[in-house]
Parts: sequence; C-alpha cells; structure tokens
Amino acid sequence: MTDSSDELEALMRQSLAGDKSAYAVLLKETARLLRPFLSKNLSNSSEVDDVLQEVLISIHKARHTYDGNRPYKPWVYAIAKFRLQDHLRAHYADHLRHAVELSEVENILPEDVTESAISYESISGEIHKLPAKQATILQLMHQDGYTAKEVAQKLGMNESAVKVAAHRAYKVLREKLERS
Amino acid sequence: MKDIEQLVEMLAEDATPVRPAPHPFVLSLKWTGAATAYLAVTLAISGLRPDLMQKFHEPWFVAEIVSLLGIFAATSISAALLAFPDLHQKRTMAFAPVLAFALFLLVILCAWSADNPPAPLPVHSFECTLSITLVSLLPAVWTFYSMRRFASTHYHLAGGIALLSAFSVGALWLRLHEINDSILHLVQWHYLPMLVVGIIGLWLGKTVLKW
Repeated sequence: MTDSSDELEALMRQSLAGDKSAYAVLLKETARLLRPFLSKNLSNSSEVDDVLQEVLISIHKARHTYDGNRPYKPWVYAIAKFRLQDHLRAHYADHLRHAVELSEVENILPEDVTESAISYESISGEIHKLPAKQATILQLMHQDGYTAKEVAQKLGMNESAVKVAAHRAYKVLREKLERS
Repeated sequence: MKDIEQLVEMLAEDATPVRPAPHPFVLSLKWTGAATAYLAVTLAISGLRPDLMQKFHEPWFVAEIVSLLGIFAATSISAALLAFPDLHQKRTMAFAPVLAFALFLLVILCAWSADNPPAPLPVHSFECTLSITLVSLLPAVWTFYSMRRFASTHYHLAGGIALLSAFSVGALWLRLHEINDSILHLVQWHYLPMLVVGIIGLWLGKTVLKW
C-alpha cells in the first residue's frame, strides 16, 4: 500500500517515463484513494465503479498535464471531482427527463388508494369483472395487504402506474356501486 | 471491482513515455509572444494612428493602454492555468483577470471624468466592434486550439477567459490604430462588447474544451 504523496509522485514520474508496472501500481493506489471520496457522493457501488472507471480513463488521457513536480493528490482529486460533477449533472438531467409532471398525478393525490370503507370481500364479484391487471392490483392491495410500492415491485410496474390503475378501478367500482 | 482491475491492466499496457505539458507560464509566454507578433503585423498593415506619439503624453491614454495590456497578460496567464485540471495549483493567480478588469474599469471611469469638454463622437459605431472581433479571430482560434491539447476541468471559465484574452488583442489594435478619443464611444463600442464576448466564451468553452 502506498500512502505518502511522495511515493505517488515518484510513481507518476516513472509512469510518465513509460514504466508500465509503476503505472499499474499508481492507478490501483489512485482507485483505492478515490473510492471513499466517490462512495460519499454516490448512492450505490455500481455507480461508484462506473465513475471510478471514468476517472481512471481521464487520468490516463490527462497524464501529460502532470509534470511530477507538484503534489499528485490535488491534481487527481481535481479530475475526480470534475468527472463526478459530470456524472451527477447527467444523472439529474436524466431524472428530470423521466420525471412525471405533477399535473399528471395531482388528480389522484387527494384520493386514498390504499384504503377503502368497503371491504374487498363484499365487492369481490365486481372486482373480478374488472380488467385483469386492475383486479390483480386491488386483490394484492386489499386482500393480501401489499402497499402500492410492493405491488409495483411484484408486478414489475412503476409505483405511479399502480396508483393510477387502482384509482381507475375505484372509479369504475364507485360508479357501479352508485348505480346499484 | 474486477472491471477496475481489468481497466488498470489495459491502461498500464498503453503507458508509453509521455512528454509533460509545458509550464503554464511558458505556455502563456508563447501565446503572448505570438499575439504580440500578430499585433505588430496587423498594425504594420493597417497603420498606427498619426497622433500616437502625442497621445503617449496624455496620462489617461497611457493608463488605458497599460491596463488593456494588463488584461491581456492576466487573461493569458489565467487561460493557461485553466487549461490544467488542477489550475497548476495556482488558483489565486487564475483569478488575476478580476483585478485587471477592476483596474481597467477604474482607469476608464477616471478618463471619462477627465474628458472635459467631451471629445466629439465619431460618425461610425458598430464598425469598431466588428473590426475588433475580426482582428481577434485568429488569436482566439490559436488559443482555443492550443488549450484543447490540455485538460481543463473549468471549461466554461477557460473559454470565457481565452476569448477575452483574444478580444483584448483586438481592442489594443484598434486603440493604437483609430483616431478617436470619445470615451463614450470607446465604452459603448470597444469595451462593453467585451461582456458579450465573455458570455460567448463561456458557451464556446463548453463546446470546444470539453473532454
């Protein structure tokens, strides 16, 4: 394990001279050095690995900008911070693209989708007449006691989609019950 | 983790000897030298203002030229530092253009208050901005091309500063070429467009210097 800055700088000088084994040691040590920093800022380990790979490639591309005469750590952290910010910017931009508009869900927000005054058993006949997916969702939520999130995971759906489907099912059931 | 080890092996295999980039001061000296030669050539072609020697006896004209040279030098050094991921660990120096611009602003304000009675406005207007932009094109291309070979982690700022550096060459050229002493005209058509140029540079930096 190489912890001191002097050793890292010496390794980098050897690497710039074309020493492949010194370069391999340097990159391994750099990865070890940066992993806690990235883990602190990212939620899961696969993301940490992805960004760490990008950082190592960037170090390789930019290694000519390090001359071996100044501390190595500030140089390497500058690159790591830069790639981390790039990753986070792309990550949040992606989230924004896939975000559901509030106006799309606000009509279901006042509705209570997990609880109902009427028991499942008393209207099970009507529930079975619903489309299969809606019936399954209601069965899982009201007979088996799963939450919307758990149903979503079970059926491989989005949580919002489960809530919307449940909401539609309630609407149909309410209309039927009001008519009868 | 296994992927990281494989990547390290792959990168290590690719580790050929690399010549380190020149020191940013050397780099900025190169740019300054090239820009000075270019300025000399453009002035030789376009001609110096006939009253230049007389103007050098006016303190506010001299102060204006000196502070413009200060902007040119400071932006050139700053752009060179910003081309390195860690700003070559000279962060304070990278922000030297702030001081240079503050000094320039002070000089212009003093020259404005000393301009009494005000010098007559020239008949032309935007032509000055256009001329400065055209003269600045070559230094801008040269600086951006040169900076692309490095690895800026502040590409927005690097682009803005590089473009301001090039624009200051154009501004110096016009001030030494054109017979015009109206501060109002200078502010409006020579120096205020620098703000727009800086903003364009921020965008250009993202486009050209991202790696």
